[in-house]
Amino acid sequence: MLPTPYIKCDYETVYEPCEDSFLLLDGLEQEQSFLQTRFRNQLAIVCELGPGSGIVTTFLMQNDIPHGNGSIYLALDISPWALEATQDAQRRNDCQNRYLSVIQSDLTKCLRQNSTDLLVFNPPYVPAEQVPDRPSSNENDKSQWLDLALLGGEDGMVITRQVLDQLDTILSQQGVAYILFCARNKPEQVAESMRQQGWKVDLIINRKAGWEVLSIYRFIRQ
Amino acid sequence: MKLLTSNFLKCSVKACDNSNENFPLRYDANCQLQQDESIDCNPEFLINILERVDWNALVQVASDLGNKSLPPQKPELSPGDDLTDDDLAIIRDMHSLLIQTSIVEGQMSCRNCGHVYYIKNGIPNLLLPPHLA
Repeated sequence: MLPTPYIKCDYETVYEPCEDSFLLLDGLEQEQSFLQTRFRNQLAIVCELGPGSGIVTTFLMQNDIPHGNGSIYLALDISPWALEATQDAQRRNDCQNRYLSVIQSDLTKCLRQNSTDLLVFNPPYVPAEQVPDRPSSNENDKSQWLDLALLGGEDGMVITRQVLDQLDTILSQQGVAYILFCARNKPEQVAESMRQQGWKVDLIINRKAGWEVLSIYRFIRQ
Repeated sequence: MKLLTSNFLKCSVKACDNSNENFPLRYDANCQLQQDESIDCNPEFLINILERVDWNALVQVASDLGNKSLPPQKPELSPGDDLTDDDLAIIRDMHSLLIQTSIVEGQMSCRNCGHVYYIKNGIPNLLLPPHLA
């Protein structure tokens, strides 16, 4: 089993690593050799959307996923607190010699198209009446930043849907995306509709976590 | 942000996706740069980067920041597995520019719509105000 990063940050503003985060670590560990083979001998642009505490990106850096000699890690979050936490996680876990850039961004809007080789996304998947607005300042209403990390509007799918709709322009030709769902997101329906749009979609891991069932799907071009 | 990151950032405005001017962003000449000599050079990593990097975009950004010394064409390493002294010189230069150089403070703008984005504490902010998002 690969080591888990040591994380310490303010959980009033940043999402505390939970079952979903750990499922993502386990799923990516399981995918390690698949990714290594896929990106052997080439640069891999790794992009995590919504890194929160930074646990997943740090785990990837720490364990050289996809591979040791050529990964560039980009961590994109709307919350300045999450970016700070992610940089901090890099330092705490001695990953200073890895290439990490944290970027404040609304999903992948600022990324050059078709440049991402490995996309990892633990989205705000909790069904809610609506997706909260972005807080107007960093300092006020700290808990509002946390809401942004959790609440995903109708079916918890509003934000994930935006990413899936753009997947073709986000991923490089070889690109792979890992996206986490809860049962209320109706992931099998989502997977089926993506398959009809020409994607190869596979469930790679799932787990019952308290009263919800979490699953991670892998998306690649057919 | 490390200089190489400029090779992946475009304007966030959706309408600019239809233009060829939304990448790379234009970097302000007054951007404050920092050189971190403590990062070791990993030649294999640099070779992989060199293969992938959009050279024209890199030349443009370097020039925005006052470095006009990059050749117009992407440098080519000699064929074969052994690195020559010339290859190593190229790799060291690229390491120094792409990995060791960071933009700490400053601004950049879209060459299409002119929207200005800021870099503070080494973190670029590509969020748009609500009326543009």
